[in-house]
Amino acid sequence: MLKVSDLHFGYRFRPILQGVSCEVSAGEILHIVGTNGSGKTTLMSILAGLTKETAGSITLTCDNQEIADRRQKTEYLPAEANGLYGKMDAMDNLRFWQKLRGLSPSNEDIIAALAQWDLDHPLIRSNFPTEKYSTGMKRRLALARVQLSGTPLWLLDEPLYGLDAKGIVQFQSILSQHLDAGGAVAVVSHDTVPLETFRPKVLEIEKRTAS
Amino acid sequence: MKLLFSQTMTIVRHGFKIEWANPERWLSPILFAITMLILFSFSVGTIEGPDTAKLLVAETYLTAFFSLQISFARFLEPDQQDGVFSLLRTYPLSGSAWYLGKYITVMIMGLLILIPTIFLTSFLHAKSGVSLMSIPVITVAVTALSGMAALGVLLSTMTMGSGSKQILYPLLYFPLTAPVLISAVEASKSILVDNVNLQSLMSSWLGLLLIFGVMSFTLGILLFGELVKAE
Amino acid sequence: MESEKLHVGMSLLMIGLVALTWTWGLKWAPTELHMGEVYRIIYVHVPAAFTAFFSAFILLIASIVTLIKKESSAGLWGRSVAEVGLIFTVLTLATGSIWGRPTWGVWWEWDARLTTTLILALLYCGYLILYSSLAAGPQRNKIAATLGIIIAADVPIIYKSVTWWRTLHQPPTLIRPGGESTIDPEMRIALVSCMVVMIIVGAFLTYQRYRNLALAEELEKLSYEQTP
Repeated sequence: MLKVSDLHFGYRFRPILQGVSCEVSAGEILHIVGTNGSGKTTLMSILAGLTKETAGSITLTCDNQEIADRRQKTEYLPAEANGLYGKMDAMDNLRFWQKLRGLSPSNEDIIAALAQWDLDHPLIRSNFPTEKYSTGMKRRLALARVQLSGTPLWLLDEPLYGLDAKGIVQFQSILSQHLDAGGAVAVVSHDTVPLETFRPKVLEIEKRTAS
Repeated sequence: MKLLFSQTMTIVRHGFKIEWANPERWLSPILFAITMLILFSFSVGTIEGPDTAKLLVAETYLTAFFSLQISFARFLEPDQQDGVFSLLRTYPLSGSAWYLGKYITVMIMGLLILIPTIFLTSFLHAKSGVSLMSIPVITVAVTALSGMAALGVLLSTMTMGSGSKQILYPLLYFPLTAPVLISAVEASKSILVDNVNLQSLMSSWLGLLLIFGVMSFTLGILLFGELVKAE
Repeated sequence: MESEKLHVGMSLLMIGLVALTWTWGLKWAPTELHMGEVYRIIYVHVPAAFTAFFSAFILLIASIVTLIKKESSAGLWGRSVAEVGLIFTVLTLATGSIWGRPTWGVWWEWDARLTTTLILALLYCGYLILYSSLAAGPQRNKIAATLGIIIAADVPIIYKSVTWWRTLHQPPTLIRPGGESTIDPEMRIALVSCMVVMIIVGAFLTYQRYRNLALAEELEKLSYEQTP
């Protein structure tokens, strides 16, 4: 599904990624590992289309068709942000991101997705600003956004940050649903145990050494 | 095309929800306008004599300019929280739809500041016998606003990543919109004092305002997409 | 080292050219009938003003190139030309003010050209402050280029509005053809020479500033390579 070949990236004059190649097919998980500062988050933001690579190619194919605008088929979960409007409730937040994709989900769909993340209580999902959520709740809501996007490729940067044991189980079940439906996932996570059941492909990014 | 329209409308509708959820965002510019008008009255004193219309017009537009600037400068603040703006950039959102949606929102928010300001000046200075609440004056004001809003959205996007945007925004915004202030004041003055109609103003001040509006909007549509593209 | 010598030589040549044209204008050119000796400041004022506005035009070109060719050094050129433009706008304002004292009787008059120059000076300052307040990188180049284009597009409108504001309350048409006053041929030659030299000096300063900025970047690059 996703094929990255010989990807290079440098910020200003500092080379960060030097020749990264990897491949993920439908139903697979790519686990990107590396030490702090090795460029995992940078790689994710390049894949998400936020940063432009200096050299190399990224191709995304869905149903044997190459996708020109990768953003249409990719959903990104950043490491340190959840992309939530703090003053708005969970329903409005999710609906906004859905509509930008040209989808028009019914309330029931959104509530069903929220139920899988334990956020469907009427007092929590509506008329309750998300800025009052706890860290784990915000992360779960962001994951619900990823789940609802209906895109085949998910890019999850530290998705487990702030999740409790129950949240991790929920995450695993959603992940296997997505993989069974023919989706693919690229994950950056320091917490490897919850991912092991999926037998992920591992991509190790080495930190650049001083020349 | 359909997606473009629906994305634009989503941005507009969402923009209003945000404003509704943060009432202080639109209330504070209006309160600021009232404060300015009171200060003007204190400093200028009773307005009478041949220069009444001139002073009233100047007072109104200056007040509107300052409160609009406050509103425009803070316009993208909700999008800056929690990585929303970056996430928007990873969405299949067309730059034009994005700009257009923001422009329409800013335009309506601007009207909600501009019209009350014009009304308030006329209300507070009713004794002077000059009223700005007339169709030609409001037409001039709205034309001026259309250019300022187009520039405002672009400038907010540009100064977003800057550490000193509080001071930088007015520093860039006021010199760039100087022709708008001059044209709006002069056009309104000729309407009120010399009873000039809009048609004949089209070849002068109103024409200049229109050119400024068209130029800002075109630059906005062209350059906004460039600003939000992957770097 | 060879190139250093060349640069020193070029700088001396620039100083010589400026000295020559200014002496010509301030000493040898004929005295003006109405204003007398005072008028001679135009040999500094007008070329400076011309260079200041010409810099805005170069800024526009550098900005467009930055947006089209991402990897080019046009971003640095934009910054250099804005700095040089700022110097010349300040020079224009100073000489304009000095000239205004004997002719208008005051240090400042809301003359259309002078006012536009003042606004342009503010815009150059805004450009440079925005540039320095942003983190280095391609995004900064894009933002600065956007502002460069906006400034260049706005200057004619500012000029038009200020002219109307000063002259007519009911300007008849958008474009008003107007001929400049006639000028003595010898004065004209002196003035044109001064202008050409000022443009060359402006270009030289811009180039030097560009080299300076490029060197700073090179240094940064080297320091990055030394650290892991």
